[in-house]
Amino acid sequence: MRPLSQIVARLASAVALCISLICVAVPPAGAQQPTSINPTASSVKEEQLLRQLNPTVAGRITIPDGKAAVLIQPAGQDWRSFHQTTQAWIGAITILGMGGVILAFYFVRGRIPIGAGPSGKFILRFNGFERFVHWLTAGCFIVLALTGLNISFGKTLVMPLLGAEAFAFISQMGKFAHNFLAFPFMLGLVFMFLVWVKDNVPNAIDVAWFKAGGGLIGSAHPPAKKFNGGQKLIFWSVILGGAALSVSGVLLLFPFTGTTIADMQLAQMVHAAVSLVLVGIMIAHIYIGSVGMEGAFDAMGSGQVDLNWAKEHHSLWAAEQGAKGGRSAQPAE
Amino acid sequence: MARMKFLCDADRCIECNACVTACKNEHEVPWGINRRRVVTINDGKPGERSVSMACMHCTDAPCAAVCPVDCFYTTADGVVLHSKDLCIGCGYCFYACPFGAPQYPRVGNFGSRGKMDKCTYCAGGPEADGSAAEYAKYGSNRLAEGKLPLCAEMCSTKALLAGDGEIIASIYRERVLKRGYGSGAWGWSTAYKETVKT
Amino acid sequence: MLIKRKTGESARPRLAALAAGLSSGVLDRRSFLRRSGLVAGGLAAIGAVQPGAVRRAEAGPMKPNIPVTLRKNICTHCSVGCTVIGEIQNGVWVGQEPAWDSPINRGTHCAKGASVRELVHGDRRIKYPMKLVNGQWQRISWQVAIDEIGTKMTQLREKSGADSVFLLGSAKFSNEGAYLYRKFAAYWGTNSVDHQARICHSTTVAGVANTWGYGAQTNSYNDIRNSKTMIIMGGNPAEAHPVSLQHVLSGKELNRANVIVVDPRMTRTAAHATEYVRIRPGTDIPVMWGIMWHIFKNGWEDKEFIAQRVHGMEKVQAEVEKWTPEEVERVSGVPGAQLRKVAELFATQKPSTLIWCMGATQKTVGTANVRAFCNLLLATGNVGKAGTGANIFRGHCNVQGATDFGLDIGNLPLYYGLVEGAWRHWSRVWAEDYEWLQSRFDEVPAKGGRPARTRKQNMETPGIATTRWFDAALLPAEQVDQRDNIKGMVIFGHGGNTVTRMPEMQKGLEKLELLVVADPHPTTFAVLAERKDNTYLLPICTQFETSGSRTASNRSIQWGEKFVEPIFESKNDYDVIYMLAEKLGFADRMFRNIEVKNKQPTPESILREINRGGWSTGYSGQSPERLKAHMANQGDFDLVTLRAKDGPNKGDYYGLPWPCWGTPEIKHPGTHILYNTNLHVKDGGGTFRARFGLEHEGKTLLAENSWSQGSEIQGPYPEFTYGVFKRLGWDSLLTAEETATIQRIGGNNPDGVSWAIDLSGGIQRVCMEKGVIPFGNGKARAAAWNLPDPVPIHREPIYTPRSDLVAKYPALPDARQFRVPNLGASVQKTGIEKKAHERFPIILTSGRLVEYEGGGEETRSNKWLAELQQDMFVEINPADASARNIQDGQWVLVAGPEMPEGRWTRMKALVTERVGRGVAWMPFHFAGWFMNQDQRGRYPKGTDPIVLGESVNAVTAYGYDPVTHMQETKVTLCQIRAA
Repeated sequence: MRPLSQIVARLASAVALCISLICVAVPPAGAQQPTSINPTASSVKEEQLLRQLNPTVAGRITIPDGKAAVLIQPAGQDWRSFHQTTQAWIGAITILGMGGVILAFYFVRGRIPIGAGPSGKFILRFNGFERFVHWLTAGCFIVLALTGLNISFGKTLVMPLLGAEAFAFISQMGKFAHNFLAFPFMLGLVFMFLVWVKDNVPNAIDVAWFKAGGGLIGSAHPPAKKFNGGQKLIFWSVILGGAALSVSGVLLLFPFTGTTIADMQLAQMVHAAVSLVLVGIMIAHIYIGSVGMEGAFDAMGSGQVDLNWAKEHHSLWAAEQGAKGGRSAQPAE
Repeated sequence: MARMKFLCDADRCIECNACVTACKNEHEVPWGINRRRVVTINDGKPGERSVSMACMHCTDAPCAAVCPVDCFYTTADGVVLHSKDLCIGCGYCFYACPFGAPQYPRVGNFGSRGKMDKCTYCAGGPEADGSAAEYAKYGSNRLAEGKLPLCAEMCSTKALLAGDGEIIASIYRERVLKRGYGSGAWGWSTAYKETVKT
Repeated sequence: MLIKRKTGESARPRLAALAAGLSSGVLDRRSFLRRSGLVAGGLAAIGAVQPGAVRRAEAGPMKPNIPVTLRKNICTHCSVGCTVIGEIQNGVWVGQEPAWDSPINRGTHCAKGASVRELVHGDRRIKYPMKLVNGQWQRISWQVAIDEIGTKMTQLREKSGADSVFLLGSAKFSNEGAYLYRKFAAYWGTNSVDHQARICHSTTVAGVANTWGYGAQTNSYNDIRNSKTMIIMGGNPAEAHPVSLQHVLSGKELNRANVIVVDPRMTRTAAHATEYVRIRPGTDIPVMWGIMWHIFKNGWEDKEFIAQRVHGMEKVQAEVEKWTPEEVERVSGVPGAQLRKVAELFATQKPSTLIWCMGATQKTVGTANVRAFCNLLLATGNVGKAGTGANIFRGHCNVQGATDFGLDIGNLPLYYGLVEGAWRHWSRVWAEDYEWLQSRFDEVPAKGGRPARTRKQNMETPGIATTRWFDAALLPAEQVDQRDNIKGMVIFGHGGNTVTRMPEMQKGLEKLELLVVADPHPTTFAVLAERKDNTYLLPICTQFETSGSRTASNRSIQWGEKFVEPIFESKNDYDVIYMLAEKLGFADRMFRNIEVKNKQPTPESILREINRGGWSTGYSGQSPERLKAHMANQGDFDLVTLRAKDGPNKGDYYGLPWPCWGTPEIKHPGTHILYNTNLHVKDGGGTFRARFGLEHEGKTLLAENSWSQGSEIQGPYPEFTYGVFKRLGWDSLLTAEETATIQRIGGNNPDGVSWAIDLSGGIQRVCMEKGVIPFGNGKARAAAWNLPDPVPIHREPIYTPRSDLVAKYPALPDARQFRVPNLGASVQKTGIEKKAHERFPIILTSGRLVEYEGGGEETRSNKWLAELQQDMFVEINPADASARNIQDGQWVLVAGPEMPEGRWTRMKALVTERVGRGVAWMPFHFAGWFMNQDQRGRYPKGTDPIVLGESVNAVTAYGYDPVTHMQETKVTLCQIRAA
């Protein structure tokens, strides 16, 4: 499968994305042509250009539009194949796969209760700013994800239900929402990083946490500080994935600003692949933060969590907070 | 039915850009939108060839395949058209198009694109043939009047051929036979999955 | 799976149309081929002219359900003469359709032709008359403008003489406009009336006319289809005349013809050649003699042709012998073996044609170049047959016509010259008093050691060339050979950036006491200098807003029909010339034989006056009715022979290419191929013109054993006069009326009345009956003894990088021509002393882009064209670029040896192997930036062209052809550095 191998190769060269420049047929310096030539006999042929290692037919054009100088880019077909096939597979695997896993988990494990039952005492887990940052990012993410999924799969899934006109309308609105909400989302990412990075540095405790199955398997609750290994995983997925989405997204927002058609295709592929994976991760995150675990939602809801919940899931953090005493251990009204 | 295609005979094309301005003239295409363009390969070197390129109206058009809102359709003549009412200006068709045909007016914020515009093979759009609404969105509809695209009709050296694929291929074949050389039907293998055997 | 939609209402009309236009859904082959222009089709539907069309200020998109009228006119850009069909709706030009029936362009256009409709959008046209008041443009009325201009002209005339006002005309005029402007100059009293031909093919006209009689393309674009070998030297028709390539490439393909391009630049034309020869700019004569060296050495010359029809070839042969392959390679850089191949192809695979353009002509040795080119044709017998000839591609849409009608400082209309006989001839045609005309000219006092001139002598002295007007304005009065310096200038339709030495020209403009620019656009003239007052802009409409005839490069004359009324307040040339003449007080005289309706002269009546006087060049047979009939029946004309196969014009050549002998009534078909002895004169046959006397140095100048088919005189004969007629007894064949006219013209010497001044047309009529050509059966001159170099001699350019060759091949010595000095030799010497070739090591040459034309004001204002070329640039070889650390696309600074010290021009670099090492090339269409200064603010509001850029002529330098004062634009020196 030539397209796939090429896509892999191009994904691997993601670094080039940020530094690439428009380059149009740079002539070799100092090349001298023979004085006597038959231009008709030596004419350039399409076939020979399409047999090149990286087949493109490009030349010179007088209009100041670098991309117009590319006459034929067969890579468009590869991108199409990614968009139509590979991307759909990634989506299916991550979203449907994660959905399936969660469903299975729910049936096997059910809702994870607070082992010791609610204590009635609350402890402040996230302050107002932290919650604002979370919900800013999360809210944007949900809209971005839905509009993005709509662009990717809406034609198949939604359009038959709404009809072409209504679907085009919501897609148009979706495009606006996607373009505009990208900015608060990126702002949220930055805040998130600044606020939580100190608590998300991986350490030995995380290794133990993972070894113990993170509490998801079995009923043991391995110790954890403010964030356990799983949450750190989410954090870094969001930060790194979000960064990838931001970079590729900004490139897509400003098309052909210092980028070539190949860069644009790569940016789209990165954007699509990363976002689908992130959507999968977020489904898990949302599940565990809501339906999946008793008491978990409060952390981002009121910000106050039940002390017993804290002790079970974040024993070290709860201990720290207890040691500090003060208001965080105050019972909630 | 006819299967309309373009064929640019690069051994005739002299980059005179008549096709480009004929298109601008016929459809009042605004500055910055280039439905058709001429690219010169190996510029200034022996064997330099120029090729006029626009939407090739592909068989199994990639733009139509990747369009998230399914705004493309192919007419009975094999012309690939689109509806600007449905288009959301996402730019995907440009990524998929092997020929760089889709064009976008730059509208609004951060380089965001307006409704895609491209060569219509002088065949207008979904509106009623020859209507003012059709002209405003897509330009004139020559095909409906029994005329071929103006770019090809006005080509200074008759390098750019438009019409039924089989007829223009046979004209090209005759030419190559007569003159003894030909650098190929540029874009055909990519657009139509066939070449003109000479 | 993608075939869907198109239902209901919208689909039905389409299907109906398909059924109507396409049989079984496919265009039937005939109509398909017709639409692809691959075979000629039937009649075009030309609707009736709609009277009283509504005046609109713009051309808009087509509106549905409003009737469309189709009208035919001719593209206003290059000289190919492509028919433009306009779709007119309610007096608005809404669309263009291919003109399938035109045998010249067969529906096609180049970028310019396909966008001419934009000219009548007129976004950036001058909308009303304006003048500068203390440096600010102010709107004025036509009446005020004409009054003030006329008053000022009269003041200048009183103070400094009629010659102090320089009249610059245009190749954009129709024939009728050009003729009127020349007539206007005669009535004003000056010979300083010029136009673009000065700077394009003046040297061709001089060189070719001095060889075989007429200064024009001998064959046609279409006839190139017959060639087996063609050399295109110093021309890039793929960009300058794109539609001509249709014929060139057809010839190449159908005949498997050899297409040899000789040029310093591997042009777009060269890309389609079968052989490309790169030469050092300015070495055309060595290359030409180098080719002929092989021809003579191998005996490939056409000995019979030379013996019969050429005089003095042995002198050329003697010069050619000096140009051994080694010397040619040393001077031009072309290897001998390659030239041998070219020579063999050209001399043996016949018919062969030689195509040339500005690369040959815009040189200090332009006339000599052209003469050398003619000699190659003569030596190989490649003149006067199908597929042969000097196919000189002229530049503008009517540069041939404007030349023909004497917008030339040395001619009255139709090449009569300035001699007394010429003035008397035109006085008769104009029904004017010769003495009165003479009284209009200045008396010139003796000055600078030169004798004084009477009015009569001044009337017969050539004027000042457009390349030198600013010298005539700036030089001390003593050095300018007329009553006073040039003080005023009236310019119709001419760009200001088209002549060399623009820094000098800028000073000249500052010095003028009156500057009038009559043009659709302000042009560089209006903005280059910082003028405060006495500057006027008159809005002139394009040829699409008026009617009249224009002569294409192949001498075919085509009638253009008015599409729409002049937009805004613009007026056509005829009306404005009339207004000026009226203000100056000679309108009644000047227009006495011309129909003027409501102060608007009609072009038809002007053409009839031309017909009455145009005997010398066979402009007598092309009546407006015949020309219109040709336009209406274009489909009848054959693609290759240009002859109508049937229809009302059966037998005629398309556009009645001149000479079209006799009166319109005798229905001469015109002359497709000049000097073609294989045809009867009545079928457009002919001989070389016996123009240079009967013998020279004891050898006859009349043809030997050669005559045109069916000639009653099977031998040599001189030009025909009434006297010759009497000796032959042919005078009896003249009608009484004709004889009376001849007697009246001849006065006491009727025998001296020649075919060219016989207003009755009787002599020509009888000549046709007798199968003889009125101008005699002469020989072509290989050596032209009246020129500075009778046999062309290589002379290094004034600014040459090869200073080592100057001693052997120096420029011509300093001299005076056309009332001013021509100091080539001393400038060359000074340049070498100052080491210009070291400080400016790169040869600079220039040329055309397909998107723009001429000075480019009009085309750079056309949004559809301007988008395609948005920056002035210089092409530079990768080796020279990397030595200067210059990247493709970056800004660079360019300076020339005569630019003010420390000043540079600024443009983009285009790094390409198209130009050889040590050579740079620039397009010449840009203006509006001048030596790194943006002049956009100086244009009247809303009239600045979309694209501005540096002019190549800010860099170009001194150098003038001695025969025509053609400027040197193709070889100068420059230095380039990264900005």
